[in-house]
Parts: sequence; structure tokens; C-alpha cells
Amino acid sequence: MQNALYVSLSKQVTLRREMDVIANNLANMDTNGFKANDVTFEEYLSSKARIAHPSPADQRVSYVRESGSTTDFSEGSLQQTGGTLDLAIRGEGFFVVETPQGDRYTRNGSFTTNEKGELVNMQGHRVRGQNGPIQFDQQDSNITFSREGTITAINGIQNQVIERAKLNIVRFNNENALVREGNGLYAAAGQTAQPVTEKTSVTQGSIEKSNVRPIIEMSRMMEVMRAYQSLSSMMTNTDDLRKTAINKLADTTS
Amino acid sequence: MRALYTAATGMVAQEMSVQIISNNIANMQTTAYKKQRAEFSDLMYQTLRRAGANSSNQGNRLPVGLDIGAGVKTTGTPRVMTQGNLLPTGKDLDVAIRGEGFFRILMPDGRTAYSRAGSFETDDQGRLVTPEGYLVDPSITFPQNSSNIQISQQGEVSVLLPGQSQNTVLGQIQLARFVNKVGLQSIGDNLYLETDASGTPQISNPGVDGMGNLLQNQLESSNVSAVTEISDLITAQRAYSMNAKVVSAADDMLQSTVQMLR
Repeated sequence: MQNALYVSLSKQVTLRREMDVIANNLANMDTNGFKANDVTFEEYLSSKARIAHPSPADQRVSYVRESGSTTDFSEGSLQQTGGTLDLAIRGEGFFVVETPQGDRYTRNGSFTTNEKGELVNMQGHRVRGQNGPIQFDQQDSNITFSREGTITAINGIQNQVIERAKLNIVRFNNENALVREGNGLYAAAGQTAQPVTEKTSVTQGSIEKSNVRPIIEMSRMMEVMRAYQSLSSMMTNTDDLRKTAINKLADTTS
Repeated sequence: MRALYTAATGMVAQEMSVQIISNNIANMQTTAYKKQRAEFSDLMYQTLRRAGANSSNQGNRLPVGLDIGAGVKTTGTPRVMTQGNLLPTGKDLDVAIRGEGFFRILMPDGRTAYSRAGSFETDDQGRLVTPEGYLVDPSITFPQNSSNIQISQQGEVSVLLPGQSQNTVLGQIQLARFVNKVGLQSIGDNLYLETDASGTPQISNPGVDGMGNLLQNQLESSNVSAVTEISDLITAQRAYSMNAKVVSAADDMLQSTVQMLR
């Protein structure tokens, strides 16, 4: 009897967790470079109250609990912005930015320069090139990123094309083991960054939007809500059952 | 329930987005207005299980972690500093910059502001000023009875004085450029101020050192594209209502919990 309540409760806890994740996905449906999140659940079997001999064994009751969160690393749609320092990665790979906590990885290619002329992201973290930070000169104009990430600029004084640096774009063997840190940044968590293959390319003047599919999130939300409600009513019914049992069994008036 | 607060951050962010879009649309016809865009990023995550943690004493590791996000925040509202279209106006003192650079404007409080809006006028003493009456730096004074104002691509200002057959050079318009022009602070009136993020201005004549050219009788229009703004507005509005739906769904779940208690 109690089990029915506890099983329902375990499911309700995971449904709430799922709702939190859906809410986070929908809140970030306009966040550049955001990757949709999902939680996975697993069955959890209770231990037996009674072992087989001599009577048949108890049924093991199964509960549910969360086992992990996975990230959908599929590519988001590209939005053309026309910004010189707006970059999008096509295919797998991450930009590398220097944070005070060490190197972090991001898909959000909305960059700018700082007061020293270094390429930085919107939080002011420097973007890594293959040989350290990417430095522009004050006279640089017509900054161009090739599809491989090579950066060239026309220098005003010499009026000639100068190669500035090359973007450092990396990939990971197990993207799902990256730890999300907020601000669109991921930490490597023990993995080593690998160089990307030729299939990865950089597009200038575009930004990768979030890959959250709002319609799917909305229908998942309805599903979660209805499941939660039906569990609630089941718990109420179980409670009623128990109440009736107590009333009937303890009825001493007759 | 966390979903309530998470969805609330989403609604706040979309509200900000609508504010910025409406400001862009309001300034569609503003000379040399540079559109803004809202830049969002995800808030922090609560890590319930960390990827790579041991799952057994035999050295098995969790291949995935369990991270629950807390919503979204606005990181910044950078301006998109692309060139606006050039509109011929036929007015002598309308100057557009084609390429990099800002005009230097002397503010009444002594600070120097920067602007790309080149719709200039003259004041009662014949000095070149902005529509607000702020002096253009370096100052250029037009003598009375001067005619045939010419502003060259390199910024040389010359006029025809009475009794002369050739133009006399009055002065030189200079431009300033910044290594990070997105870091400039907007103060309204089409003016920007230097900040710690923009770097110090580099001043030189138009057309040299990578500076843009000046085009007389033209104005730079705003770089707002109506189509983009409207489609962004629709996206923001829909995103707002979806986040609002999450709030009401989370509320329904809470309500069904409360109803269990009779």
C-alpha cells in the first residue's frame, strides 16, 4: 500500500526535474550557441522484503530515479548578423576561451575586441588562437576569417593584407562528459581537446542560434504536466483507499 | 519549484529583447544610428552528479553528469557597427563617413564625444556645429559671405570668398577610430563617449591610415533592417509566451500537489 505512494512520489520527483530542464531549454531558446539539455532516468529496484523460502518471494518494486543529463550537440540554425567578429562553427568543434579558471570551450561565436585590440567574447574572456591570444592592430580593417579559421586583415598604414592568427578550434571524444558552467561555457573535466577534422569550418558574419526546438519542448511540457497530474490523482486514490480501510476496519459500532 | 523561476528569467530576457527591438525600430530613420542586439547566455548549472566521477571502486566512471540549468541572463547589448546606407540630401553641410571613423564633437562640459552623424549646421558665429549646437573638433569657422562650400574626401573644407576665383581652405575635419568601437558608451543625440573598453582614440585625417572617406551632400542612414527587426520581434514575442506557458504548467503541477491534501 505504501509502495504505491512511494513509487508515485519517485516519479513525481523526476517529473519535476524534467520540468526544470524544459524550463531551462525554453528560457534559452534565444541564447546563441546554446545546446538543449535532457535528463535520463533509470529504474531502481527495491530490495526484497522476504526471500524465497519457503513461500514465494516478494515482487521487487521498481522506482524511478534520474541517472544523468545529456546534451544535444546538434548544430543550431545560423542567423546572419553581418558582424565582422560574429563567427559560427559548422560541424563539430568549440572555440577556446581563456577564463581565470583556465581554458573553457564554447559554441557562441559572438565576439568583439577589447581595449587592447584582442579578440574576446562578450564576457571579456580572450579567444585563443593557435599561438595564444588573437591580437588586432588599431589600423586593421576588413578583418576576414577563412573557413579554416585563418584571420587576415588589411592594415591601414601599409595597406596590405596581413595574416594575423589562426583560430584554435577543438573537438572532444565524448562531448557529453563536458561540464556545463553557464555563460555558454563548457569545462573539459579531464578530457583532452583534439584538433578538429576538415569537416569543421568557420562562417563569418553569422551566429549559431540555440538548437532548442520549442515545439518539442512544449509538447514534452504538456506530457510532464499531465503525467504529474495523473500521479497526483493516483496518490489521492491510494490515500482514499487507505482512509476507507481504516474507517471500515476500525468501525466498532456494529 | 525551480521551473517557475527558470521560466521567469526567460520572460525577463525576452522582455529585454522586445525593448531593444522597439528602440531599433523607433530609430530606423535616425541618422547614422547603429542597431543594438540583445546577447543572452545561460545562467549557472547545479551539478547533481559530476561527469567522470567514480561509479564503482573498480574505477568505472560516470560517462555523463547531471546538470540542471537555472535559466538565462542578458550578457550585453552590443551595437552592430556596420556601415549604414548613404542617402544623398543635397545639403552642403551633410557629410557621411564611408568606412571607419567618428567625427569628434566638443561637448559643453569639455569632454570629447564621437559621432557618425554628419548632419552639421553653422552657429551664429559661423562655426561648424551639430544640430544640438555642439562644436565640431577641430573647429572650422565659415566667414560671412562665403559660398560654394566644398568638403573633400580627405576632409579638407574650403569655401569661395567674395572677390576670389578659387576656393580658400578653411580647415581640416579629423576622424577618430577605436580598436573596440563596440565598447563605446552611447549617450543619446547620436553621440558616443570613450570608455575603458573602447581603448584610446587614434586620430587622423579621413582617407589615410585605414580611416574612411568623407562624402559631402550625403548622410549615413541607420543600419536597422525592418524585416530583421520584425522577425526578431515575432520570435521574442513567441518565446515570451512559451516561457509564460511554462510558468502556468508548473503552477498546475503545484496545484495538483496541493489538491492531494484534502
